[in-house]
Amino acid sequence: MSRVIAFCFLMLAAVLAYLHIDRQPAWAPFEMVNLANEVTEDATETTETIPQTQKTHKASKNVAPSKPPIAQPQSNWLPDTGAASVHAASLIALKEGGGVRAFWFAGSREGAKDVVINSAVFDPQSARWSAPTVVIDRLRAQQDLSRYIAKLGNPVPARMTNGQMQLFFVTVSIGGWAGSSISTVISDDEGLTWGPAKRLITSPFINLSTLVKSPTIQFSDGRLGLPAYHEWIGRFGEFLRLDADKVIDKRRMSSGRGAIQPVVFVADEQLASAFFRQTRSSSQIKQIPVSQTQNAGQSWSVGQDLEIPNPNSAIAALTLNNGVRLMVLNNIESGRHRLVMLMSQSQSNIWNVVQVLEDDEALPHDQRKEYSYPYLITADGSDAHLVYTWHRKKILHQYFSSAWIKQSMSKEAP
Amino acid sequence: MISTYMQMIALLEISISAAVIFIWLLQKLVPGEITFAMRILLLFILGNLLFWPLGMSMQLPLAAYVRGVTGDLSLVTLLLLWSSILPKSKATPIGVKVAIGLIAILFYPAALGLGMTDPYAWGYGSLVLLIFVLIFAVICGLANWAKGVWILAFAIMAWSVHWHESSNLWDYVLDPFLAVWAIYSIFYALYRKRREKAQSGYLFRAG
Repeated sequence: MSRVIAFCFLMLAAVLAYLHIDRQPAWAPFEMVNLANEVTEDATETTETIPQTQKTHKASKNVAPSKPPIAQPQSNWLPDTGAASVHAASLIALKEGGGVRAFWFAGSREGAKDVVINSAVFDPQSARWSAPTVVIDRLRAQQDLSRYIAKLGNPVPARMTNGQMQLFFVTVSIGGWAGSSISTVISDDEGLTWGPAKRLITSPFINLSTLVKSPTIQFSDGRLGLPAYHEWIGRFGEFLRLDADKVIDKRRMSSGRGAIQPVVFVADEQLASAFFRQTRSSSQIKQIPVSQTQNAGQSWSVGQDLEIPNPNSAIAALTLNNGVRLMVLNNIESGRHRLVMLMSQSQSNIWNVVQVLEDDEALPHDQRKEYSYPYLITADGSDAHLVYTWHRKKILHQYFSSAWIKQSMSKEAP
Repeated sequence: MISTYMQMIALLEISISAAVIFIWLLQKLVPGEITFAMRILLLFILGNLLFWPLGMSMQLPLAAYVRGVTGDLSLVTLLLLWSSILPKSKATPIGVKVAIGLIAILFYPAALGLGMTDPYAWGYGSLVLLIFVLIFAVICGLANWAKGVWILAFAIMAWSVHWHESSNLWDYVLDPFLAVWAIYSIFYALYRKRREKAQSGYLFRAG
């Protein structure tokens, strides 16, 4: 008799589970921004001259010397919090005023218990950063998440379809970064205040070892795709499909121990390429691993490497509204002492260096600094904001206006 | 509704589980059996000690520190563990342990990055995985282990209503602690069988 009752209860559970599966939203295509095929047109229309910045690799072709030069890329330090170590800055465009909000983590050292996630707002009118605020610290995170939290890491902001700002960040309870999990907070007021932290469950082994570093992708149904990665037994990329603070699906982007921190370039509603930071063994080639999807991220296949050197360091990626793609990375095989911006004006994966941002190649090894963890966004679809870690001591913000980008395009145009 | 109390429920589950493990360890250490009433009393005292913040230098209840290490346990682990405190608790059949062990051996390497197929992803809404779990439950029932049917039914139901932070069915039916327990139990059972065989062989060996 008890067995019959048990089977009846199982049947009830099966019905509930079926209804739950039936409610799951279908996988949607990628949301496309207004990509206009204006690349060539824009490039030829440009008459302004490019500034003689540090070391632009290709010589200017269409320089009109009689015109006034456009502004250099603007550089600003993110506000100093007094912390000895800062790292992993990221950005999001504010809804109004053309400003951007930055997030980064700061503390006595990376992985220390006193590390907090800071934030500040850049005002484009005054070209200044506001005073820094603390978004979350370890103690608040562990209160919200009802578990011990040892340290905080990489913050990545996103815009939800209802206009709320969402911040993903890494928390660790045990061990090093391999023991990471992703948590998230949501703000109704553009990052001034934040709701309670929630945890994303992404791994079957005590939810260990999922991290985030790269911007989200939007699906046409308003949901977000979050490129994430594991770095414990395996080092590989994963694509999380989110419904607010809940993971509703995930797909593997690569396997093995050689590719983390994916950045995704969406080409159309179904097609996208992911470029990775390589973490291969010393005997293997130090280039950018690539994966591709042809069904909006439902499945990924590993492609041929992008033949740009990568010294096991993060890449930043951005697609502008006119289809031009930008990347910022360390294009060397070891060290992080050289940081460059690359541009591609087509889907052909031909990338040219348009700006050398930092280069300590000429300095002795012990005097070279580390320039790492770049993060790119656009505020209006035609410009670019870049932040990156400057020798772990500061975060540098650089602004590239649409005029500067157009000029770079004209120089790169065939 | 559930999300409001999700964190509190999870801490309560960890408190009860840690208390049950402590009672089990105590039972191994003390001679004679701890009575059911005494077990319930110990569960109440230890559970409260773990669940409520004790102050001093600790910012969190003890259960939150345990949870930081273990995460949330699967419903199957919780219910198997908790049922062990009941009087006349029927042991889990060795066949179920073997099945759990085999599934874990196949599942974890693939889910943690071996190859491009991720079986963990099936847990977010795969009808095939749900049917597999239901068939497993039916087999438990047919093998005269009704407790297994109840446990799996509760686990499926909990997943349907998003009882824990996870929205993945795997996290409700399997966790590494359950896998380790199942594999350890198989080896221990084999060891015991070999020892019994050896002893019986000694007793009846020709002089």
